[in-house]
Amino acid sequence: MSRRHPFTLLALVAALTALAWILPAPAGGLGTAAAALALAAAAGPRRVLVPALVTAAPFWLFLLLLHDVPSTIAIGLRLTTMIASVVWVGALLPPGRLVEAMVAAGWGVTAAYLFAAALSAVPLLKARAQRIVDAQRCRGLSPRGGLGRRLRALRALALPLVLSVLHEVDERALALETRGFVPGARRTPLAPPRDGTGERAARWLLLVACGAALAWRIAWRG
Amino acid sequence: MSVRLLVLIPAAAAISLALSAAVDAVALPLFLDTTGTVLATALAGPGAGIATGVVTSAVNTLRNPTFWPFVVVQIIVALYAWLAARAGLFRSLKTAVPAGLGLGVLAAATSTPISYVVFGCTTTGGIALTTALGRALGLPPLGACFFGSFVADFGDKAVTFALVTSVLHALPRRTAARFPWALRAVGIAGSAGPA
Repeated sequence: MSRRHPFTLLALVAALTALAWILPAPAGGLGTAAAALALAAAAGPRRVLVPALVTAAPFWLFLLLLHDVPSTIAIGLRLTTMIASVVWVGALLPPGRLVEAMVAAGWGVTAAYLFAAALSAVPLLKARAQRIVDAQRCRGLSPRGGLGRRLRALRALALPLVLSVLHEVDERALALETRGFVPGARRTPLAPPRDGTGERAARWLLLVACGAALAWRIAWRG
Repeated sequence: MSVRLLVLIPAAAAISLALSAAVDAVALPLFLDTTGTVLATALAGPGAGIATGVVTSAVNTLRNPTFWPFVVVQIIVALYAWLAARAGLFRSLKTAVPAGLGLGVLAAATSTPISYVVFGCTTTGGIALTTALGRALGLPPLGACFFGSFVADFGDKAVTFALVTSVLHALPRRTAARFPWALRAVGIAGSAGPA
């Protein structure tokens, strides 16, 4: 599955999630959840299935706390479908491959940059935030105490992080401009994922299936 | 859109997601996941703010799939922050904190239907527990759901606005002037338009 075109994988996730909500509960949700969990298990029980189940488990607990059993099952199966399928696609689809597919499909370099830059910046900024927390603690900042004291500590931790990022904006903009980065420009992808006729047809088929399910639900089931 | 503003959007989105490390350190029940959206709007206007909100939700969805339906809340936050910036409400904490509290009410009102319809009010542990408390207090299901969202958002958005105000005032004037809305948001530029 990981060799499939990124748009096909995303279409499958969107279709499973949409069908979980469209089809009548609990049978519809049971079918889509089973399909999503089967995909997750096929991709790797430890790498995909367990994280999906761990993410979904608290929702079942809270649903039981707030709803009766039939509602818990109906909503829980829908959420399990959504969570398992997104965890599956997250494990199977490297962001770089998605960006290549977007560029190959004619998306402007802007959209691809926004997504890829944010994805790559998050772990770096989290590491920097942790270094700031450690440094401020070394300087005697105590993050414990009353609400006011904690809020002041939060300001002392967050401000250096945000200001450092804003100071880097010009530097990054200059680096991009020197590389000929112009918003809206079209780029040639280095290794575009193969998008066969069969996969394109499969994506249309998923769209038609969702539309048909919705029409059936509205027209005949109310 | 200039390259500088284009660089600002993913940077602001990453700020929203990286601030969790600071929040964890002080053990406060806050998300601060709209900080980047509010900051980008106050610096560069609603287009940059909405784009930041959408990118934040998209990236957050890869970590936790339940975030995507709340992309609407990020867009509402960006539009509200734009109005606040136009009115110069980031000029001091005295004006920013009440504006943030107002956003808390609006964000709760926006997220309640999504949380109720899609998740049965179980988006996070804290919200589920406060919703259960609302039910125990005799509120109807939708009212209890709003109560849970309100408790989560009210203080969070006030702290977000206060934090963004602190950032805008801590920015050197020369750096702030490079962003089209920054000086107006803090009430320095006139009301004719962005600086």
